[in-house]
Amino acid sequence: MRLESYESVEHQEMVRKLLDGRFENTAFCLLSPDGKTQLSRSGRAPWMSFSRVGPRIGDEELTDATVKAMTRIANRYRPKGDSGNPVVQDFHSFRQALNVASGDQRLLLYVATPEASQVGIRETLSEVMGQPSIVGRFHVDFMGKEDQNWANVIQGFNAKSKRGLFIIQSGQFGQDGKLVKQLSVDASADKIASALLAANKQFSKTEARKVYSNHVAEGRRKGIYFEGNVEYGEDRDGDGKIDHRAGFDRRRGPRKSP
Amino acid sequence: MKKTFLTLSCLISLASAVFAQGPRPNDLGPSPQPVGDAGVAWYTTWDTALTEAKRTNRPIFFMAAAATCGGVSGVF
Repeated sequence: MRLESYESVEHQEMVRKLLDGRFENTAFCLLSPDGKTQLSRSGRAPWMSFSRVGPRIGDEELTDATVKAMTRIANRYRPKGDSGNPVVQDFHSFRQALNVASGDQRLLLYVATPEASQVGIRETLSEVMGQPSIVGRFHVDFMGKEDQNWANVIQGFNAKSKRGLFIIQSGQFGQDGKLVKQLSVDASADKIASALLAANKQFSKTEARKVYSNHVAEGRRKGIYFEGNVEYGEDRDGDGKIDHRAGFDRRRGPRKSP
Repeated sequence: MKKTFLTLSCLISLASAVFAQGPRPNDLGPSPQPVGDAGVAWYTTWDTALTEAKRTNRPIFFMAAAATCGGVSGVF
């Protein structure tokens, strides 16, 4: 699982718990299936859970050792349940889903129906998202109470049909997007899977991989700012407050975001 | 399964390089994974991840990260 570090106080508390009270942008560890027991050390990089030797780029030996250690731990547990019908992914907000889809450069399947009618759709989507040709290629988000204005940032949206399943391509900075395909809420699993695969095929032809430094530089030039729900920055001394280091980019201040 | 293993290896290698003692994110080029290919099937809320982990009795690979850099969104 991957949580957004700056999405909520709750997420930050999870990170602090794993990092001995510190808060850093990233944290990794393995947990038991019930989430209660830590199965590895924690750190801001995966290898820290299994080795005290720092990595060098291209250090395949360390990567292999990390994966083997994780596999050893995983093998202590006997898997159960049907892997073809997983719990379907969700986000806390459409705003975050759009941002993460942009960061991962994946299409987003957005389920825009009232929460009360989402049970049946979750069952259908479980069948879809567990398919080998689909798994790991898309993000999925279900509309929540705070997402009523989601369509305002989507180009090509037909206001007459605000209810349905929407395949969305997130914009470069994850604060807007465009509608790729709309399906009805009662679309079959086969139809949804076909639409996703066709959209992904086209997406892969037109989307170029981002280069981190270029992306950030361009974002700064354009004044892009994504308002976090908590203060940006790290608390490396673990005093409970975000460190205000010299040079840390706080000059720009918050800007409007959708 | 093999592809999942390779994807996880790729993620760990990249994350290790980026987040500790390796090069800074600014020094990295684009991801070698083609757009549209399968990556890690992330759960992005604690509740969904925990439910799936309990259902399948599989350990949880927990990661916290930000899809922003200094407030610039749309990037890991």
